[in-house]
Amino acid sequence: MRNETYDIVIIGSGAGGGTVAAALAPLCADGVRMAVLEWGAKLGPEDLTGRELEMARKLYVDGGAVLTRDGAITLAAGRAYGGSTVVYTGTSLPIPERVIERWSVPGLEWSDIDQRCRKYLAENNAHLLSEELINDNNRLFREGCERLGYRVAPFPINTHGCLGSGLCNLGCPNGAKRGTHVVQLPQAEAHGVEVITHCRVTSIDDRICRAVVTPPEHGEASRWEPGEYAVHARIVIVCAGALHTPALLLRSGLGSKLPALGRYLTLHPALILVGEHDRPIANFRGHPKSYWSDQFLDSHGFVLETCMYFPFTTAKNLIGFGEEHAELMRGFERLQMILVLANDPARAENRVTVDRDGHPVVDYTLTEGVLDALHASMKEAARIFFAAGARRIHAPAGVTFFIEARDEERLDELIPRSNVLPGRISITSAHIMGGCRMGREAATSVTDAWGRVHGFDGLFVADASLFPRCSEVNPYVTVMALADRVAERVRSDARELLSR
Amino acid sequence: MIPLSPRRARFLVSLAPTIAPDVATLDTAGRARFESIVTRALDERPAQVRRQLGLLLDLVRFAPLLRYGRPFARLDAHRQAAWLRWLEGAPIVRLRAGFWGLKTLVYMGYYGQPHVWGSLGYRPFSRASSSGRDPGAERDV
Repeated sequence: MRNETYDIVIIGSGAGGGTVAAALAPLCADGVRMAVLEWGAKLGPEDLTGRELEMARKLYVDGGAVLTRDGAITLAAGRAYGGSTVVYTGTSLPIPERVIERWSVPGLEWSDIDQRCRKYLAENNAHLLSEELINDNNRLFREGCERLGYRVAPFPINTHGCLGSGLCNLGCPNGAKRGTHVVQLPQAEAHGVEVITHCRVTSIDDRICRAVVTPPEHGEASRWEPGEYAVHARIVIVCAGALHTPALLLRSGLGSKLPALGRYLTLHPALILVGEHDRPIANFRGHPKSYWSDQFLDSHGFVLETCMYFPFTTAKNLIGFGEEHAELMRGFERLQMILVLANDPARAENRVTVDRDGHPVVDYTLTEGVLDALHASMKEAARIFFAAGARRIHAPAGVTFFIEARDEERLDELIPRSNVLPGRISITSAHIMGGCRMGREAATSVTDAWGRVHGFDGLFVADASLFPRCSEVNPYVTVMALADRVAERVRSDARELLSR
Repeated sequence: MIPLSPRRARFLVSLAPTIAPDVATLDTAGRARFESIVTRALDERPAQVRRQLGLLLDLVRFAPLLRYGRPFARLDAHRQAAWLRWLEGAPIVRLRAGFWGLKTLVYMGYYGQPHVWGSLGYRPFSRASSSGRDPGAERDV
């Protein structure tokens, strides 16, 4: 066991950890020693091959194949220098005022969060894409919504020099996406923050982080030799994501004093829906996620977004098998795709626990309300596909594999609610939130509104696990805003905490 | 070698074209890549998952004896598909999810091969392709 000593240790380097690192980095000029411990690898351009399975293995926890305990939902969490910001599409939405009001966290004001969101929108170059970067897949969604009279809006995207390779979810091969691996972490390192990759923290014990550094399978080697480490720090900020932050704190024995730890997990459950046109369309080239519609957010609890996935991901998200499935896949270049994101309630029984080996286990039950929303979304997406000119669509709850355009009037009959069965339809989550929810009391929350863990001086959380409820929009900007608040609190508490 | 018993591994390979028909069109190298992908995916999963998959394969193979009086391999194509469709919508969520996992493994083995992407019309950007080389042919995933 080797020993390392820092003043501040940040665990994780994604939207939370990368933001905290950059925001605290100026303290290095005052002699504060700071390290970011990142489980994943720092990849170079030669590592970003665009090959689906290879990149999933390099950039996602368990290759993107984490499942809930009942196997009904696939969970995608990034693991890399830059965390999930390496694999998101860069869609940059500030959190709406009504959501912060619904969160109802004492001391957390929307105006404060919104101001910080705007700061990171600017820092990350969030902007609307020019028309020439909008491919057919996105344009057809916009046109379909417009023909139906549905609200549709462009996403602000945080790229610079996007070449439209369409590989955002597998790591941009052109370095265009301005995640923390491009913006905040290099800033932090320039100030003297050390980023230790291939370093997995296994537990935290009285200001000592137990960690293991492994030899690299890919990417740059770690700054530290492989082996076990005891990393001493006066301040520890956990930013390992809503799956692994609660799991780390549970492994560290905090569960007995924090009954809400791991609980109130929300997943923003997602469906990938597909329509087929009678001709090839530009779909897998170009930015994959340029538009969204909140037409059904208030009435049915879901949003619709454009998306474009890769062959294996697409294949596993279709219902069915056999010749019809193969036929649809052979028409890959004719496919239009829509992603559904359903708002889910924060329930105490939806939670992260750890198994006897310390690995996170997710218990999550889809409510009838969420299943209703997913059902309604299939029918509305079908209408958009048809309005955009699709010849036929595939609905996961359809009574037949294909639904032809001529049958559009029969959608209620052809997509029955009774077919919306967890485990049968492929439901995914890339927006894992909660588990260390903010609040006033240790009985019902894990941290205060500034990310300070109740009852543990010097221990902070700064990632999506802070969310007390679903964010209702793509969450990364909100994570950065909350992390910025946590960094502010650390700065103001630093003199006292670092003198202990 | 697929980390299942030889009997179960053979059944999985024989079942694959029923789920993804184009598996049957793979040449020797393609079949080897299919098995390599499946093997690696299972090697990376906990032993418990491999055990569950083994049990599921036994169920797919032998439970038709109760329903149709003969094992899966001796059913005609229509009844094989009907049996798999029943599993897909089975009344128990773990069974439905298990079948989804089985399908996913087969789809990974086939659609995860860059070599088949051309037949789908999928030609992703890559540094290699931008320099005129075929990224899918460079090395196995």
